Amino acid sequence: MTKATTVTEAMLTRRSIRAFSDRPVPLELIRKVMDTARWTPSGCNFQPWEGAVLTGAPLHELQERMRAAAPQDPKEYSWSDPEVLPECLARLHQVGADMYAAMNIERADKAARGDFMAQNLVSFDAPAVLLVYFPRVMGPPQWSDVGMWLQSVMLLLRDEGLDSCPQEFLSIHARLIKDFLGVSDESHIFFCGIAIGYRVEDDPVNQFDRKREELDSKVRFLGFE
Amino acid sequence: MDVSAAVATRRSIRAFLDKPVEQAQLRRVMEKAQAAPSGGNTQPWNAVMLTGTPLQKLFDLVAATIPQGLMAYSAEYPIYPAELEGRYADQRFAVGEAMYAALGIPREDKDSRRDVFANNFRAFGAPVLMLVHTPRYMGLPQWSDIGMWLQTVLLLLREEGLDSCAQEAWAIYQKQIREVVEIPDDHIFFCGVAIGWGDRHAAVNNFPVPRVGLDQAVQWEGF
Repeated sequence: MTKATTVTEAMLTRRSIRAFSDRPVPLELIRKVMDTARWTPSGCNFQPWEGAVLTGAPLHELQERMRAAAPQDPKEYSWSDPEVLPECLARLHQVGADMYAAMNIERADKAARGDFMAQNLVSFDAPAVLLVYFPRVMGPPQWSDVGMWLQSVMLLLRDEGLDSCPQEFLSIHARLIKDFLGVSDESHIFFCGIAIGYRVEDDPVNQFDRKREELDSKVRFLGFE
Repeated sequence: MDVSAAVATRRSIRAFLDKPVEQAQLRRVMEKAQAAPSGGNTQPWNAVMLTGTPLQKLFDLVAATIPQGLMAYSAEYPIYPAELEGRYADQRFAVGEAMYAALGIPREDKDSRRDVFANNFRAFGAPVLMLVHTPRYMGLPQWSDIGMWLQTVLLLLREEGLDSCAQEAWAIYQKQIREVVEIPDDHIFFCGVAIGWGDRHAAVNNFPVPRVGLDQAVQWEGF
């Protein structure tokens, strides 16, 4: 995918990529992206985000360890709270159905679905992964700040012709990841990974239609003429 | 404008020009922002865009409440973490001091500092205020999703030549907000975003805002 030249183009061309090519990502490109992303805003200028970018041998070693490990119990945090809302559960089911349909995987084919989920552990073969963590004292508004930073990173990656996939899934191995990186489990929560690399353009998993709610069901305009 | 320029030229604007913003322009931004990602495609964000009469009504109501002081505060979530250490404790004060220094207001001049803080509740003169709310059922990762959407909005506004200021300060007057704008009881009020054309010459829009160094926040392995 070519580089985005506008914010709009970055938004239109960013999607969660689940098949990456083996083309490596130059360090200077990721450093440029992460350097600019520092200008993301945060309440009180806390800049609560912390992370590690891994590639090559250390990344493969971490992936080997995760493959050999059982998911941690209890979970690092819950990602499924919204599922109590029928409309949120419906959106989750819809995106899953669309993704598996694109890959011609039947709903009943649990083995094939399981194999695909396991691709998360190798970040869909992305050559680089950003692992995101921050102090446990951070509350809801700081989680939002981290989200702002993550979106800066993902959109800036499009500026460089790079693609990404945010992966809360990796939190099933949060303690293992922190241990690997030398990050304190006591002081820090692990949030997510961001797979980083170049998309395989013609892979169907990178092409299914994504659905979003209508604007007027999300945003109301009051007082405009 | 590419993303890099949008990120680099975005700053929290605290003095806006008296110039309206077209609804069509805001709709264009918000329509594009709908494509922001979210875990399980939850799309937990909800917003109200206020301008004109209803916005003035909110300003008036909050102005009448400010003299009640802390008694009137009603934030539904902790704006600051309880315990902060190291760089986080330092940063909280650094940005405030940088701003007041640019305005030439010393620490002792509490009245002037209070007046500057009160500017929050006129959205710093911005013609539009976006109020953000989300269902109470949302967990912490959904707050991150809302942040991804918020940053998308702020960057798309830059592309339109517009400026913004994300304002968690509005959370302390969520009760007054709910008197002016209908927000469902099972939704939590998060923040406001002032939107308009920044007065880029104003001192309050020009002080340097520090950031931690790249290698302080991010470690690199295997390159």
